[in-house]
Amino acid sequence: MNLAHLHLLLNHFSIIGTIIGLGLFLVSLVGENDDLKRAGLIIFAAMALLSLPTFFSGVGAQGAIQELPGVSEALIDRHEGAAILALFFMEITGALSLVGLWQSHKFSRPARGNVVAVLLLSLFTVGLMARVGTTGGDIRHPEVWASSDPAANEGTLGSIAHAFEPAPDKVTELMTANKFWWAFMMALHFIGLVMIVGAVGALDLRMLGFAKELPIASMHRLVPWALAGFAINVTTGVLAFIGMPNFYTYDIAFWIKIFAILLLGLNAAAFYLTDTFNVVEHMGPGEDAPPPAKIIAASSLVLWFAVITLGRYIQFYQSTVSGR
Amino acid sequence: MALPLFLQSIENGRFSTWLRESDSPFAFYFVLLFHTFGLALLVGANSLVDLRLLGFFPCMPLAPLKRFFAIMWIGFWVNATTGVLLLIAYPTKALTNPVFYAKLTIIGSAIWILTKLQKEVFLDSLTEGDMIARGAMLAKWSLVLWVGAISAGRLLAYTYTYITFPS
Repeated sequence: MNLAHLHLLLNHFSIIGTIIGLGLFLVSLVGENDDLKRAGLIIFAAMALLSLPTFFSGVGAQGAIQELPGVSEALIDRHEGAAILALFFMEITGALSLVGLWQSHKFSRPARGNVVAVLLLSLFTVGLMARVGTTGGDIRHPEVWASSDPAANEGTLGSIAHAFEPAPDKVTELMTANKFWWAFMMALHFIGLVMIVGAVGALDLRMLGFAKELPIASMHRLVPWALAGFAINVTTGVLAFIGMPNFYTYDIAFWIKIFAILLLGLNAAAFYLTDTFNVVEHMGPGEDAPPPAKIIAASSLVLWFAVITLGRYIQFYQSTVSGR
Repeated sequence: MALPLFLQSIENGRFSTWLRESDSPFAFYFVLLFHTFGLALLVGANSLVDLRLLGFFPCMPLAPLKRFFAIMWIGFWVNATTGVLLLIAYPTKALTNPVFYAKLTIIGSAIWILTKLQKEVFLDSLTEGDMIARGAMLAKWSLVLWVGAISAGRLLAYTYTYITFPS
Protein backbone atom coordinates (compact mmCIF):
# COMPACT_ATOMS: atom_id res chain seq x y z
CA MET A 1 0.00 0.00 0.00
CA ASN A 2 1.28 3.49 -0.81
CA LEU A 3 0.02 6.96 0.12
CA ALA A 4 -2.14 7.23 -3.00
CA HIS A 5 -3.89 4.00 -2.01
CA LEU A 6 -4.35 5.28 1.53
CA HIS A 7 -5.85 8.52 0.21
CA LEU A 8 -8.35 6.69 -2.03
CA LEU A 9 -9.29 4.36 0.81
CA LEU A 10 -9.84 7.03 3.45
CA ASN A 11 -11.58 9.72 1.41
CA HIS A 12 -14.73 7.66 0.87
CA PHE A 13 -15.13 7.11 4.60
CA SER A 14 -14.79 10.79 5.48
CA ILE A 15 -17.26 11.94 2.81
CA ILE A 16 -19.89 9.24 3.17
CA GLY A 17 -19.53 9.18 6.95
CA THR A 18 -20.25 12.88 7.17
CA ILE A 19 -23.35 12.45 4.99
CA ILE A 20 -24.56 9.62 7.26
CA GLY A 21 -23.90 11.81 10.31
CA LEU A 22 -25.96 14.62 8.81
CA GLY A 23 -28.75 12.17 7.96
CA LEU A 24 -28.94 10.91 11.53
CA PHE A 25 -28.76 14.44 12.88
CA LEU A 26 -31.62 15.63 10.65
CA VAL A 27 -33.79 12.63 11.57
CA SER A 28 -33.06 13.26 15.25
CA LEU A 29 -34.29 16.84 14.89
CA VAL A 30 -37.49 15.82 13.15
CA GLY A 31 -38.15 12.96 15.55
CA GLU A 32 -36.83 14.83 18.61
CA ASN A 33 -34.70 11.85 19.51
CA ASP A 34 -31.79 12.75 21.80
CA ASP A 35 -29.98 9.41 21.41
CA LEU A 36 -29.98 9.79 17.65
CA LYS A 37 -28.77 13.36 18.02
CA ARG A 38 -25.86 12.11 20.11
CA ALA A 39 -25.12 9.46 17.48
CA GLY A 40 -24.97 12.18 14.83
CA LEU A 41 -22.60 14.26 16.97
CA ILE A 42 -20.36 11.24 17.62
CA ILE A 43 -20.16 10.52 13.89
CA PHE A 44 -19.29 14.16 13.12
CA ALA A 45 -16.51 14.09 15.71
CA ALA A 46 -15.20 10.76 14.38
CA MET A 47 -15.26 12.03 10.79
CA ALA A 48 -13.42 15.20 11.83
CA LEU A 49 -10.70 12.95 13.24
CA LEU A 50 -10.64 10.61 10.22
CA SER A 51 -10.51 13.57 7.83
CA LEU A 52 -7.06 14.44 9.14
CA PRO A 53 -5.24 11.40 7.66
CA THR A 54 -7.43 11.72 4.57
CA PHE A 55 -6.18 15.27 4.12
CA PHE A 56 -2.56 14.44 4.97
CA SER A 57 -2.40 11.52 2.52
CA GLY A 58 -3.41 13.79 -0.35
CA VAL A 59 0.09 15.19 -0.72
CA GLY A 60 1.50 11.68 -1.17
CA ALA A 61 -1.22 10.85 -3.69
CA GLN A 62 -0.28 13.99 -5.59
CA GLY A 63 3.38 13.01 -5.53
CA ALA A 64 2.52 9.57 -6.93
CA ILE A 65 0.56 10.82 -9.95
CA GLN A 66 1.71 14.32 -10.86
CA GLU A 67 4.35 13.08 -13.30
CA LEU A 68 1.91 10.77 -15.11
CA PRO A 69 0.71 11.75 -18.59
CA GLY A 70 -2.66 13.52 -18.69
CA VAL A 71 -2.58 14.67 -15.07
CA SER A 72 -3.30 18.37 -14.74
CA GLU A 73 -1.57 20.40 -12.04
CA ALA A 74 -4.45 22.89 -12.16
CA LEU A 75 -7.00 20.20 -11.29
CA ILE A 76 -4.88 19.00 -8.37
CA ASP A 77 -4.59 22.59 -7.09
CA ARG A 78 -8.35 23.06 -7.34
CA HIS A 79 -8.91 19.84 -5.37
CA GLU A 80 -6.36 20.88 -2.76
CA GLY A 81 -7.91 24.32 -2.26
CA ALA A 82 -11.33 22.68 -1.92
CA ALA A 83 -9.86 20.21 0.60
CA ILE A 84 -8.37 22.97 2.79
CA LEU A 85 -11.71 24.80 2.95
CA ALA A 86 -13.70 21.61 3.59
CA LEU A 87 -11.27 20.47 6.29
CA PHE A 88 -11.68 23.84 8.04
CA PHE A 89 -15.46 23.40 8.20
CA MET A 90 -15.18 19.69 9.04
CA GLU A 91 -12.93 20.37 12.05
CA ILE A 92 -15.16 23.16 13.37
CA THR A 93 -18.18 20.88 12.98
CA GLY A 94 -16.31 18.16 14.88
CA ALA A 95 -15.26 20.53 17.65
CA LEU A 96 -18.79 21.89 18.09
CA SER A 97 -20.10 18.30 18.12
CA LEU A 98 -17.79 17.53 21.03
CA VAL A 99 -19.09 20.65 22.81
CA GLY A 100 -22.62 19.35 22.19
CA LEU A 101 -21.71 15.91 23.55
CA TRP A 102 -20.26 17.53 26.67
CA GLN A 103 -23.45 19.56 27.11
CA SER A 104 -25.61 16.47 26.70
CA HIS A 105 -23.47 14.75 29.35
CA LYS A 106 -23.88 17.65 31.78
CA PHE A 107 -27.44 18.80 31.03
CA SER A 108 -28.73 15.57 29.39
CA ARG A 109 -29.04 17.29 26.00
CA PRO A 110 -27.02 19.67 23.81
CA ALA A 111 -27.93 23.35 24.09
CA ARG A 112 -30.25 24.76 21.42
CA GLY A 113 -27.53 27.14 20.19
CA ASN A 114 -25.15 24.24 19.74
CA VAL A 115 -27.71 22.20 17.77
CA VAL A 116 -28.34 25.12 15.40
CA ALA A 117 -24.60 25.75 14.93
CA VAL A 118 -23.82 22.07 14.27
CA LEU A 119 -26.73 21.83 11.85
CA LEU A 120 -25.63 24.85 9.79
CA LEU A 121 -21.96 23.93 9.81
CA SER A 122 -22.55 20.28 8.96
CA LEU A 123 -24.73 21.32 6.00
CA PHE A 124 -21.86 23.47 4.73
CA THR A 125 -19.38 20.70 5.49
CA VAL A 126 -21.32 18.07 3.54
CA GLY A 127 -21.56 20.40 0.57
CA LEU A 128 -17.86 21.20 0.68
CA MET A 129 -16.89 17.56 1.21
CA ALA A 130 -18.95 16.62 -1.85
CA ARG A 131 -17.03 19.25 -3.79
CA VAL A 132 -13.71 17.85 -2.56
CA GLY A 133 -14.82 14.42 -3.77
CA THR A 134 -15.91 15.75 -7.16
CA THR A 135 -12.78 17.81 -7.78
CA GLY A 136 -10.67 14.88 -6.59
CA GLY A 137 -12.44 12.49 -8.94
CA ASP A 138 -11.87 14.91 -11.85
CA ILE A 139 -8.11 14.47 -11.48
CA ARG A 140 -8.04 10.88 -12.74
CA HIS A 141 -11.47 10.39 -14.32
CA PRO A 142 -11.80 12.32 -17.58
CA GLU A 143 -14.80 10.13 -18.41
CA VAL A 144 -16.91 12.20 -15.98
CA TRP A 145 -15.87 15.58 -17.38
CA ALA A 146 -18.56 17.62 -19.08
CA SER A 147 -15.95 19.14 -21.38
CA SER A 148 -12.19 19.11 -21.75
CA ASP A 149 -11.79 21.77 -19.08
CA PRO A 150 -13.70 20.78 -15.93
CA ALA A 151 -12.64 23.92 -14.06
CA ALA A 152 -14.44 26.04 -16.63
CA ASN A 153 -17.57 23.92 -16.26
CA GLU A 154 -18.15 24.42 -12.58
CA GLY A 155 -21.76 25.02 -11.63
CA THR A 156 -22.82 28.20 -9.86
CA LEU A 157 -22.36 26.64 -6.42
CA GLY A 158 -18.94 25.35 -7.40
CA SER A 159 -17.82 28.80 -8.52
CA ILE A 160 -19.09 30.38 -5.31
CA ALA A 161 -17.23 27.79 -3.21
CA HIS A 162 -14.14 28.27 -5.35
CA ALA A 163 -14.10 31.98 -4.52
CA PHE A 164 -13.53 31.07 -0.86
CA GLU A 165 -10.94 28.37 -1.49
CA PRO A 166 -7.35 29.35 -0.73
CA ALA A 167 -4.53 28.83 -3.22
CA PRO A 168 -2.62 25.97 -1.57
CA ASP A 169 0.85 27.27 -2.52
CA LYS A 170 0.07 30.66 -0.99
CA VAL A 171 -0.89 29.09 2.35
CA THR A 172 2.26 26.99 2.33
CA GLU A 173 4.35 30.08 1.69
CA LEU A 174 2.54 32.04 4.39
CA MET A 175 3.28 29.40 7.05
CA THR A 176 7.03 29.33 6.46
CA ALA A 177 7.72 32.93 5.41
CA ASN A 178 8.45 34.12 8.95
CA LYS A 179 10.39 31.99 11.42
CA PHE A 180 8.73 33.73 14.37
CA TRP A 181 5.30 32.75 13.11
CA TRP A 182 6.55 29.15 12.85
CA ALA A 183 8.07 29.32 16.36
CA PHE A 184 4.78 30.75 17.66
CA MET A 185 2.80 27.86 16.15
CA MET A 186 5.24 25.32 17.58
CA ALA A 187 5.09 26.97 21.02
CA LEU A 188 1.29 26.69 20.85
CA HIS A 189 1.63 23.04 19.81
CA PHE A 190 3.70 22.37 22.96
CA ILE A 191 1.26 24.31 25.16
CA GLY A 192 -1.54 22.20 23.69
CA LEU A 193 0.51 19.08 24.50
CA VAL A 194 0.84 20.19 28.12
CA MET A 195 -2.92 20.87 28.35
CA ILE A 196 -3.77 17.43 26.97
CA VAL A 197 -1.27 15.41 28.96
CA GLY A 198 -1.80 17.45 32.13
CA ALA A 199 -5.56 16.94 32.06
CA VAL A 200 -5.93 13.46 30.57
CA GLY A 201 -2.84 12.22 32.40
CA ALA A 202 -4.23 13.32 35.77
CA LEU A 203 -7.56 11.61 35.10
CA ASP A 204 -5.78 8.46 33.88
CA LEU A 205 -3.50 8.37 36.93
CA ARG A 206 -6.50 8.71 39.27
CA MET A 207 -8.25 5.81 37.53
CA LEU A 208 -5.07 3.77 37.93
CA GLY A 209 -5.12 4.42 41.67
CA PHE A 210 -2.95 7.53 42.11
CA ALA A 211 -4.24 10.28 44.49
CA LYS A 212 -7.32 8.27 45.44
CA GLU A 213 -8.50 11.06 47.75
CA LEU A 214 -9.77 12.77 44.59
CA PRO A 215 -13.28 11.84 43.38
CA ILE A 216 -13.16 10.67 39.74
CA ALA A 217 -16.22 12.74 38.85
CA SER A 218 -14.33 15.92 39.73
CA MET A 219 -11.30 14.79 37.71
CA HIS A 220 -13.54 14.23 34.71
CA ARG A 221 -14.13 18.00 34.63
CA LEU A 222 -10.62 18.21 33.17
CA VAL A 223 -11.74 16.66 29.89
CA PRO A 224 -12.88 19.92 28.20
CA TRP A 225 -9.47 21.35 29.06
CA ALA A 226 -7.78 18.43 27.26
CA LEU A 227 -10.13 18.85 24.29
CA ALA A 228 -9.21 22.55 24.10
CA GLY A 229 -5.54 21.51 24.01
CA PHE A 230 -6.37 18.96 21.29
CA ALA A 231 -8.16 21.66 19.25
CA ILE A 232 -5.06 23.89 19.52
CA ASN A 233 -2.86 21.02 18.38
CA VAL A 234 -5.05 19.94 15.47
CA THR A 235 -5.05 23.55 14.28
CA THR A 236 -1.32 24.15 14.67
CA GLY A 237 -0.51 20.63 13.42
CA VAL A 238 -2.56 21.01 10.23
CA LEU A 239 -1.05 24.47 9.60
CA ALA A 240 2.46 23.05 10.10
CA PHE A 241 1.63 20.23 7.68
CA ILE A 242 0.41 22.71 5.07
CA GLY A 243 3.58 24.73 5.68
CA MET A 244 5.96 21.81 5.04
CA PRO A 245 3.87 19.07 3.34
CA ASN A 246 6.79 17.10 1.93
CA PHE A 247 8.62 17.07 5.25
CA TYR A 248 5.74 15.26 6.99
CA THR A 249 4.33 13.20 4.11
CA TYR A 250 7.37 10.98 3.57
CA ASP A 251 7.97 10.31 7.27
CA ILE A 252 7.09 7.05 9.00
CA ALA A 253 7.08 8.61 12.49
CA PHE A 254 4.46 11.14 11.35
CA TRP A 255 2.15 8.42 10.02
CA ILE A 256 2.44 6.23 13.11
CA LYS A 257 1.76 9.33 15.22
CA ILE A 258 -1.47 9.96 13.28
CA PHE A 259 -2.38 6.28 13.67
CA ALA A 260 -1.78 6.51 17.43
CA ILE A 261 -4.11 9.54 17.58
CA LEU A 262 -6.82 7.53 15.79
CA LEU A 263 -6.28 4.73 18.33
CA LEU A 264 -6.79 7.32 21.08
CA GLY A 265 -10.13 8.11 19.44
CA LEU A 266 -11.05 4.41 19.67
CA ASN A 267 -9.85 4.34 23.27
CA ALA A 268 -12.11 7.29 24.09
CA ALA A 269 -14.98 5.45 22.38
CA ALA A 270 -14.25 2.36 24.50
CA PHE A 271 -14.48 4.57 27.57
CA TYR A 272 -17.61 6.58 26.80
CA LEU A 273 -19.66 4.21 24.65
CA THR A 274 -19.43 1.16 26.88
CA ASP A 275 -20.62 0.87 30.46
CA THR A 276 -17.17 1.86 31.77
CA PHE A 277 -17.86 5.57 31.97
CA ASN A 278 -21.23 5.11 33.72
CA VAL A 279 -19.53 3.00 36.38
CA VAL A 280 -16.57 5.31 36.89
CA GLU A 281 -18.39 8.61 36.59
CA HIS A 282 -19.83 8.69 40.08
CA MET A 283 -16.85 7.26 41.94
CA GLY A 284 -16.01 9.21 45.05
CA PRO A 285 -12.81 9.58 47.04
CA GLY A 286 -11.00 6.33 47.90
CA GLU A 287 -12.93 4.19 45.43
CA ASP A 288 -11.02 1.87 43.13
CA ALA A 289 -11.81 1.90 39.40
CA PRO A 290 -12.76 -1.48 37.83
CA PRO A 291 -10.23 -3.31 35.58
CA PRO A 292 -11.72 -2.17 32.23
CA ALA A 293 -11.35 1.47 33.31
CA LYS A 294 -7.76 0.81 34.36
CA ILE A 295 -6.95 -0.80 31.01
CA ILE A 296 -8.42 2.20 29.18
CA ALA A 297 -6.53 4.65 31.43
CA ALA A 298 -3.24 2.80 30.93
CA SER A 299 -3.79 2.66 27.14
CA SER A 300 -4.47 6.38 27.10
CA LEU A 301 -1.26 7.18 29.01
CA VAL A 302 0.85 4.87 26.84
CA LEU A 303 -0.67 6.22 23.61
CA TRP A 304 -0.27 9.89 24.55
CA PHE A 305 3.37 9.35 25.43
CA ALA A 306 3.75 7.44 22.16
CA VAL A 307 2.29 10.45 20.34
CA ILE A 308 4.88 12.71 22.00
CA THR A 309 7.64 10.24 21.14
CA LEU A 310 6.62 9.91 17.50
CA GLY A 311 6.26 13.68 17.16
CA ARG A 312 9.74 14.16 18.55
CA TYR A 313 11.16 11.65 16.04
CA ILE A 314 9.56 13.18 12.93
CA GLN A 315 12.73 15.08 12.14
CA PHE A 316 14.87 11.98 12.73
CA TYR A 317 12.82 9.77 10.41
CA GLN A 318 12.32 12.16 7.48
CA SER A 319 12.35 10.57 4.00
CA THR A 320 11.51 7.10 5.34
CA VAL A 321 8.31 6.66 3.31
CA SER A 322 8.57 5.99 -0.41
CA GLY A 323 6.70 8.28 -2.77
CA ARG A 324 5.68 5.40 -5.02
CA MET B 1 33.88 39.30 19.90
CA ALA B 2 35.90 36.12 20.21
CA LEU B 3 33.97 33.18 21.56
CA PRO B 4 35.38 31.51 24.69
CA LEU B 5 37.42 28.46 23.76
CA PHE B 6 35.90 26.18 26.39
CA LEU B 7 32.83 25.95 24.13
CA GLN B 8 35.03 24.39 21.49
CA SER B 9 36.68 21.97 23.90
CA ILE B 10 33.28 20.73 25.12
CA GLU B 11 32.13 20.25 21.53
CA ASN B 12 35.30 18.36 20.62
CA GLY B 13 34.77 15.93 23.50
CA ARG B 14 33.78 12.39 22.54
CA PHE B 15 30.46 12.43 24.37
CA SER B 16 29.37 15.78 22.91
CA THR B 17 30.35 14.66 19.41
CA TRP B 18 28.50 11.37 19.81
CA LEU B 19 25.34 13.09 21.07
CA ARG B 20 25.37 15.52 18.16
CA GLU B 21 26.52 13.36 15.28
CA SER B 22 25.43 9.81 16.02
CA ASP B 23 22.89 8.27 13.64
CA SER B 24 21.43 6.31 16.54
CA PRO B 25 17.85 7.15 17.56
CA PHE B 26 19.12 6.85 21.14
CA ALA B 27 21.51 9.79 20.92
CA PHE B 28 20.34 13.40 20.53
CA TYR B 29 16.68 12.70 19.77
CA PHE B 30 16.38 10.43 22.79
CA VAL B 31 17.57 13.23 25.08
CA LEU B 32 15.22 15.67 23.36
CA LEU B 33 12.37 13.19 23.83
CA PHE B 34 12.93 12.93 27.57
CA HIS B 35 13.19 16.72 27.77
CA THR B 36 9.66 16.79 26.32
CA PHE B 37 8.44 14.06 28.69
CA GLY B 38 9.80 16.10 31.59
CA LEU B 39 8.05 19.19 30.29
CA ALA B 40 4.75 17.33 30.08
CA LEU B 41 5.08 16.01 33.65
CA LEU B 42 6.32 19.23 35.24
CA VAL B 43 4.16 21.80 33.48
CA GLY B 44 1.19 19.47 33.04
CA ALA B 45 0.94 18.81 36.77
CA ASN B 46 1.87 22.35 37.81
CA SER B 47 -0.68 24.00 35.51
CA LEU B 48 -3.38 21.70 36.89
CA VAL B 49 -2.65 22.94 40.41
CA ASP B 50 -2.42 26.54 39.17
CA LEU B 51 -5.78 26.40 37.40
CA ARG B 52 -7.45 24.87 40.44
CA LEU B 53 -6.07 27.69 42.62
CA LEU B 54 -7.44 30.19 40.09
CA GLY B 55 -10.97 28.82 40.49
CA PHE B 56 -11.25 26.30 37.66
CA PHE B 57 -12.70 22.83 38.41
CA PRO B 58 -14.25 24.01 41.74
CA CYS B 59 -15.69 20.57 42.49
CA MET B 60 -12.18 19.10 42.69
CA PRO B 61 -10.89 19.03 46.29
CA LEU B 62 -7.75 21.13 46.49
CA ALA B 63 -5.68 19.55 49.25
CA PRO B 64 -5.18 16.08 47.63
CA LEU B 65 -3.61 17.79 44.62
CA LYS B 66 -0.44 18.01 46.75
CA ARG B 67 0.27 14.48 45.51
CA PHE B 68 1.03 15.98 42.11
CA PHE B 69 4.10 17.81 43.43
CA ALA B 70 6.01 14.52 43.31
CA ILE B 71 5.26 14.30 39.56
CA MET B 72 6.39 17.90 39.08
CA TRP B 73 9.72 17.19 40.78
CA ILE B 74 10.28 14.04 38.71
CA GLY B 75 9.66 16.17 35.61
CA PHE B 76 12.00 18.85 36.89
CA TRP B 77 14.91 16.47 37.53
CA VAL B 78 14.41 14.69 34.21
CA ASN B 79 14.64 18.07 32.53
CA ALA B 80 17.56 19.36 34.54
CA THR B 81 19.47 16.22 33.51
CA THR B 82 18.43 16.19 29.87
CA GLY B 83 18.90 19.96 29.73
CA VAL B 84 22.56 19.58 30.75
CA LEU B 85 22.99 16.84 28.11
CA LEU B 86 21.49 19.08 25.42
CA LEU B 87 23.85 21.82 26.53
CA ILE B 88 26.81 19.44 26.24
CA ALA B 89 25.71 18.56 22.71
CA TYR B 90 25.39 22.17 21.52
CA PRO B 91 27.17 24.49 23.99
CA THR B 92 27.98 27.23 21.47
CA LYS B 93 24.47 27.26 20.05
CA ALA B 94 22.87 27.70 23.48
CA LEU B 95 25.36 29.92 25.29
CA THR B 96 25.65 32.48 22.47
CA ASN B 97 21.88 32.97 22.36
CA PRO B 98 20.37 35.52 24.80
CA VAL B 99 17.08 33.58 24.63
CA PHE B 100 18.82 30.73 26.46
CA TYR B 101 19.58 32.95 29.48
CA ALA B 102 16.02 34.32 29.38
CA LYS B 103 14.70 30.75 29.40
CA LEU B 104 16.83 29.76 32.41
CA THR B 105 15.76 32.88 34.32
CA ILE B 106 12.11 32.19 33.59
CA ILE B 107 12.45 28.54 34.67
CA GLY B 108 14.30 29.57 37.83
CA SER B 109 11.43 31.90 38.74
CA ALA B 110 8.80 29.27 37.94
CA ILE B 111 10.58 26.70 40.14
CA TRP B 112 10.88 29.26 42.95
CA ILE B 113 7.09 29.72 42.73
CA LEU B 114 6.65 25.95 42.67
CA THR B 115 8.53 25.58 45.97
CA LYS B 116 6.52 28.45 47.48
CA LEU B 117 3.27 26.74 46.41
CA GLN B 118 4.44 23.50 47.99
CA LYS B 119 5.78 24.98 51.23
CA GLU B 120 3.45 27.89 51.87
CA VAL B 121 0.15 27.00 50.22
CA PHE B 122 -0.27 23.23 50.36
CA LEU B 123 -0.22 22.97 54.15
CA ASP B 124 -2.48 20.53 56.02
CA SER B 125 -3.30 23.27 58.53
CA LEU B 126 -4.91 25.52 55.91
CA THR B 127 -8.53 25.51 54.74
CA GLU B 128 -9.28 25.51 51.02
CA GLY B 129 -10.20 29.20 51.17
CA ASP B 130 -6.91 30.10 52.85
CA MET B 131 -4.97 28.07 50.29
CA ILE B 132 -6.64 29.94 47.45
CA ALA B 133 -6.10 33.31 49.17
CA ARG B 134 -2.39 32.55 49.51
CA GLY B 135 -1.90 30.77 46.21
CA ALA B 136 -3.96 32.55 43.54
CA MET B 137 -1.35 35.21 42.75
CA LEU B 138 1.46 32.63 42.70
CA ALA B 139 -0.63 30.42 40.41
CA LYS B 140 -1.21 33.26 37.97
CA TRP B 141 2.52 33.96 37.74
CA SER B 142 3.32 30.27 37.51
CA LEU B 143 1.11 29.90 34.41
CA VAL B 144 2.56 33.00 32.77
CA LEU B 145 6.12 31.86 33.44
CA TRP B 146 5.54 28.33 32.10
CA VAL B 147 4.04 29.70 28.89
CA GLY B 148 7.13 31.92 28.69
CA ALA B 149 9.50 29.02 29.34
CA ILE B 150 7.90 26.86 26.62
CA SER B 151 7.92 29.75 24.14
CA ALA B 152 11.56 30.57 24.91
CA GLY B 153 12.46 26.89 24.50
CA ARG B 154 10.79 26.76 21.10
CA LEU B 155 12.45 30.03 20.06
CA LEU B 156 15.87 28.51 20.83
CA ALA B 157 15.42 26.19 17.86
CA TYR B 158 14.99 29.11 15.45
CA THR B 159 17.00 32.07 16.77
CA TYR B 160 20.58 30.80 17.20
CA THR B 161 23.64 32.60 15.74
CA TYR B 162 25.97 29.57 15.64
CA ILE B 163 25.04 25.90 15.54
CA THR B 164 28.57 24.81 16.50
CA PHE B 165 31.82 26.62 17.24
CA PRO B 166 32.81 28.60 14.11
CA SER B 167 35.99 27.27 12.57
